[in-house]
Amino acid sequence: MSATDIQIAICGSAGDGTIAAGNILRNAVAEAGYRVISFDVYPPEIRGFGKCISRLRVTTEQVYSLKECSDVFLSLDDSHAIPHVGEVRDYGAVIFDSKPVVVNEEGAHISAHVRPGQIPYGFPFREISEIATGANRSRNIAALAVIAGLYRLPQAAFRRTIETTFGKKAKAVIAANLAAFDAGYAAGSDTFKLDDATFGSSGGKASGAGTVVILNGNAAVARGLIDAGIDTFFGYPITPATTIMERLAIEMPKRGKRLVQTEDEISAIAACVGAGYTGSRSATSTSGPGLALMMEVLGLSTIAEVPCVVVVSQRGGPSTGMPTKTEQSDLNAALYGSHGDSKRIVIAPTNVEGCYRCAGKAFEMAERYQTPVIVLLDLYLSNRYETVILAREAPFDRDCTKRWRKTDHDEVYKRFAQSKDDVSPRAIPGDAEGMHVITGLEHNELSRPNDQPEMHTEMSRKRHDKLDAALTHPDFTVSKRFGDDGRVDVGLLAWGSTFGETLEAMIKAQAEGIRCAAMKVVMLSPFPAAAVSGFMDDCRHVLVPELNYEGQFARLVQAELARPVVSLARVPGGPMRVEEILAEIRRLAGRTSVGATPATN
Amino acid sequence: MTLSQTAPRHHVIIGTGIAGSSAAEELRDRDPDSRITIITLSRLPFYHRHLLPQVFRDVDDWRTFQAYPPAHYRDRRITLRRDTRVARVDAPNRLIHLAHKETVRYDMLVVATGGRSYLPEGLVEFFPLLHSFGSFKEALATRQALPDGGRVVMLGGDMIGLNLARTLVDTGHQVTLVSGEHTFWPHQVSEEQRPLLLAALADLGIEVIDGEKRGGIAGIELGASGLPARRVVFGDGSSQHGDVVMPFFGLVSSVDFMAGAGPDIERGLLVKTNLRTTDEHIFAAGNVCQVWTDADRCYRFYYGSRNVSNMGTLAARNMTGDSEQFEASAEDEQLILDAEGRIHSPFWE
Repeated sequence: MSATDIQIAICGSAGDGTIAAGNILRNAVAEAGYRVISFDVYPPEIRGFGKCISRLRVTTEQVYSLKECSDVFLSLDDSHAIPHVGEVRDYGAVIFDSKPVVVNEEGAHISAHVRPGQIPYGFPFREISEIATGANRSRNIAALAVIAGLYRLPQAAFRRTIETTFGKKAKAVIAANLAAFDAGYAAGSDTFKLDDATFGSSGGKASGAGTVVILNGNAAVARGLIDAGIDTFFGYPITPATTIMERLAIEMPKRGKRLVQTEDEISAIAACVGAGYTGSRSATSTSGPGLALMMEVLGLSTIAEVPCVVVVSQRGGPSTGMPTKTEQSDLNAALYGSHGDSKRIVIAPTNVEGCYRCAGKAFEMAERYQTPVIVLLDLYLSNRYETVILAREAPFDRDCTKRWRKTDHDEVYKRFAQSKDDVSPRAIPGDAEGMHVITGLEHNELSRPNDQPEMHTEMSRKRHDKLDAALTHPDFTVSKRFGDDGRVDVGLLAWGSTFGETLEAMIKAQAEGIRCAAMKVVMLSPFPAAAVSGFMDDCRHVLVPELNYEGQFARLVQAELARPVVSLARVPGGPMRVEEILAEIRRLAGRTSVGATPATN
Repeated sequence: MTLSQTAPRHHVIIGTGIAGSSAAEELRDRDPDSRITIITLSRLPFYHRHLLPQVFRDVDDWRTFQAYPPAHYRDRRITLRRDTRVARVDAPNRLIHLAHKETVRYDMLVVATGGRSYLPEGLVEFFPLLHSFGSFKEALATRQALPDGGRVVMLGGDMIGLNLARTLVDTGHQVTLVSGEHTFWPHQVSEEQRPLLLAALADLGIEVIDGEKRGGIAGIELGASGLPARRVVFGDGSSQHGDVVMPFFGLVSSVDFMAGAGPDIERGLLVKTNLRTTDEHIFAAGNVCQVWTDADRCYRFYYGSRNVSNMGTLAARNMTGDSEQFEASAEDEQLILDAEGRIHSPFWE
């Protein structure tokens, strides 16, 4: 089986069906057994304006990010696509509409911008659709089918995907799209292929280890929450977190669970904490602006030691910022937001499978350590689709509560009783003789208001120290090292979605002979100081790539460990470029260019 | 000074063969500040078509044939517009209308679209049964259709075809040439020389059938089960089987899009000896044009890579201020049979 590694980009205007075409392509190649990573970029406007790009990397081996250059590029709208032609590598394909409706001024057609090394393929998408269906509405399907035909992708997988995609529409709609697909496929397969992008055999779905599914980060979060036994969800829509709630709104009622769309984020977190107090596994989801509104009640959750799970998908900020662009700039807010000393657990998955695990594990941690847990995603991870293999049995403990049971007739329930692990046995409303009062006030063991300095000091210590156990939470990867063992020239420390690009850069650097290792840090609070420090001991230089301006994670590492790191902080609105990380690795390793040997003293 | 006077001149070349590429190179050297755009129907950049027979030597990557690496066009600032069909030229307004509805304005235009394979009218209906050899795609398709040691029936036998025939014989295939008036095109062959040349071909291992003696080609059919895939039927009822049948009857100018544009057309674009057409802003070079010859007092085609390349270069010079006259390369005209019975032709070099 020859290895396949093809990246396809589809670019159009909102309303062209760009994202829809990308979805069908993604699902069809996944159905055919390939691995997939995909990410869509779309405008904040609903329709009729901005640029949409769907990028899809299709492989037979495990990969960790999208590629720098695409192998195949499809334009559904030349005005948007022209600036992106340069992202197609030499001897890759640029596919476009050879019979557009509008009359173009010189240079307005994409064929004027195809570079000498790229292979142009003009097809009359609109005409193909019109001849096959009598209308041009299936133009995007015809264009998609051209790709499928040109690269001899399995026709049946696409037809099934189209039938599923349009399954709820009238039969005539399904028939029209299938007809457009067949016509486009024929046009593509009849074309003499000159580019060198080739799909090898997919090898079929490898499902021995579990169920193979295609999920994006938000869908994985929703599935993780459900598989971990979510009881209640309260939320208010906000890009890019909205689809978590949308998916839960469909799935939770089927399972007898409750979801409420509240009037704002303050209500959502308040309801979430209230439900958590009752023993319900409860969660909310939001983005940076919503997280800002939730801060006060998050503090309540901390001081009242009530479990709750908050999923935050970051976007460009501050304020409304860039709602449809990705960023990792809410780390400080997640770690330090709210008033007082309000330490909490913050975990950040690095891929889609991690979104599933972190969402489910967040419930375990929230319950076990009686604390709010923030699961920190970003738009790139929320919207990124990957092939994921899920275990057949959900890997989550459905009940982690340290429950209070009255054992002594004279025992008085102390909600915040001291204990060896600093986690107090918990009674929930309805437990016999476990009645207690919860407020936002500092309190004593009986939960009665108490602001004496000794008590505040002791309770603050308790609330902080109990979280350390999360660093050894069962069946949870807090941090993990990849790459070369032992001493390395460059060590990469990364968190969240940027870890995929970091790992790709590390692999490329190793291929260039640079001794290199990478560590993903999933648990950001409490900080895994020993593991990170141990990793840094092995590194001549430590590079921290992340998608924010301030280098928030780099500062966290320096604050926790008082050791120097090199920050690579960028805010492009999209994923970190692998080449940019690689260039920095080379620089740190003393390589001035690819293949150059390190400078010696 | 108006904006148009300050804007760089835009030289447009239609066609990316030898003539068009030569013109672009010369224009870049002589007019460094100009915009240069090559428009071609081909999806590939300029590649060496005369090397296409190498596909039978297991060369199957078109990049082997490309004349320049992609960086060349970038470095020379030559815009290459491929997979682009010219619908028509509006000479009075100096506009090129492309089939995808884009309009390109030019200051000076070189038409260098070359020629396409000519197929006699009587054979047009059999076109689906023929294998042409004018492009990389066609070359590969022919190779795929031809089994190891298989037989090619070559109709006509122009010099492009005979060049291929030599490679086919060298690579273990069998070639049967059905000779006729187009054999050795574009060379003019005398009646005395003709049998000697055909005998030389036979010495190379090419079987020669005199098509005219057999009453001409009456038709082409699919071969019967168990026999080679094609059968050429002659007027006298005889036939010749082959795995592929390939027509080589010379070239005709690819000049349809210039109809009605303004410049005079006969079989090709008519140009003066300076290669300018009857429109002062349009030149032509290569197999697309008929050049006036004072000696013969007529317009005629000139073939061969040297002639075609020289025409491209000359057109570029005359577009940028020179006034040179085209002089055909005598070497490109010559078909020589040496004392040892070997054929020498510029098409074989």
